[in-house]
Amino acid sequence: MAISLDRSIVGVEFDRTVCEPVTETEIRTYSAISGDPLPPSPGGGALVAAPTFVVSVRGKKFMPPKLPNLGAAGFDAGKDIEFGEPIHPGDVLTVVSTVHDVYEKTGRSGTMAFLVLRAVITNQRGDQVAVIDQKMMFR
Amino acid sequence: MILDLHTHSEASEDSRAPVEAYLKWLVRKRSILPIDGIVLTEHRQWSQRVDYRSLEDQYGLLILRGAEVETDYGHILVYGVNDRITERFDFTNVRLSAQELVPAVTEMGGIALPCHPGRPTIGLYEHYATKPPIEGVVAVEALNGGSRRGENERVHELIERHGYRAFGGSDSHLVSLIGVCATEFDCGIRTTDDLVAALFRGGYRPVDFRDRLRTAA
Amino acid sequence: MAHPIGFTDLDVGHEFPRLQLTLSSEQVQQYALAAHMPGGRFMSDAAAQREGLPGQIVPGNLSMALFARLIAEALPAGVLRRLNATFRALVRPGQVLVVHGVVTEKHCTEAGESVECDLVLESAEGDRLVTGTATVRLSGESPTAR
Repeated sequence: MAISLDRSIVGVEFDRTVCEPVTETEIRTYSAISGDPLPPSPGGGALVAAPTFVVSVRGKKFMPPKLPNLGAAGFDAGKDIEFGEPIHPGDVLTVVSTVHDVYEKTGRSGTMAFLVLRAVITNQRGDQVAVIDQKMMFR
Repeated sequence: MILDLHTHSEASEDSRAPVEAYLKWLVRKRSILPIDGIVLTEHRQWSQRVDYRSLEDQYGLLILRGAEVETDYGHILVYGVNDRITERFDFTNVRLSAQELVPAVTEMGGIALPCHPGRPTIGLYEHYATKPPIEGVVAVEALNGGSRRGENERVHELIERHGYRAFGGSDSHLVSLIGVCATEFDCGIRTTDDLVAALFRGGYRPVDFRDRLRTAA
Repeated sequence: MAHPIGFTDLDVGHEFPRLQLTLSSEQVQQYALAAHMPGGRFMSDAAAQREGLPGQIVPGNLSMALFARLIAEALPAGVLRRLNATFRALVRPGQVLVVHGVVTEKHCTEAGESVECDLVLESAEGDRLVTGTATVRLSGESPTAR
């Protein structure tokens, strides 16, 4: 199946989700299972989520609904996470997702198309919690 | 003179290594990695405007530039890139014709050499099983620091069968992987023209510093 | 209590204590559920094979969590500011994994002191499965806690 790169999708916002409040159970469970430990709570304050907890914060739509023909079987090829304000129980997070880039390259798996999806996550105070660039590979 | 002929800085989309960080690392690791310079071979791109002379002066290391392009025979390193070459070949095209690229680059003053030839899909070894050899290839990257077990070993057969010369490079995308494999030249090299001439002439060999690094760790 | 490693204790080339571990199939399933990513490929060999994979695979996000764990254990006083990873090859449950990292740069700016690190997750045979980098802040003003 030929891969077609349609760059008109770059910059398009495809999802804006206000998530349910983060719970203490979610924070503790993620940390216990992933091994990413809970950071210390400064000054004995509120529980702080492990840094990579942000990857579990997802919008309703993970991918743009109208994808160009990028080939079958999307795989996570990599991520770049910029961390901002920490996440605490009770935080109401908003995820805004856009298509950040699309390009093609060749590798061991053959010719691959890459879609870079950017998720900007903010809390109820409007503080930026994280920016996550996720590279999806299609072949 | 020892040069790492295959490196990627943060200009390549899958590398996070600033050029200056590479140089600082090499200066610090000098006793283990006696590298005199690096050649930046960014993926699928070329910019005439980039100038690293101030970094060269500051760190006492040579910085040359080439490119890694993608062809129907796998990936190829191009040294001596100039306007004629970039006008003829779009480096962002992942389906360049290697049979056209290699002789044309030579004719236009550069040199194009297949890299990681033992790597599946994007290395020469597998393509030569079903396609004729590329005209005009003089050397291949016999030692690639990013290759997996067995991939570098397949290259020796290729070299013997076709009489290619051998060179080495780290294929680094991380600061700490710079210089793990490189190329030792019998002559001095100060410019890209010197490099291109030396690669055609011979008098070089791949060098492997991975054991030294393991021992030092 | 031992003094946690600070900015002045670190040199470029400082290697973090390595992690060696094996992830079980159950751990991978539990992680996928906790991270809200219950795709078949992370839940069982059969489901993964239906997607054309050799068997159950470890989510890339879990590899990133291992990087974060490496840094947290090596630099408990550090705050992770940036983390990135390239997933170069499939990581499978049951595979012996070695996670290691090294400091590659130190920065001292008005915003505080930080280090850059290279990170590698490799197989027991030395094949690099995941590579990445991190920026860890070691001093300066912490984000405001509630």
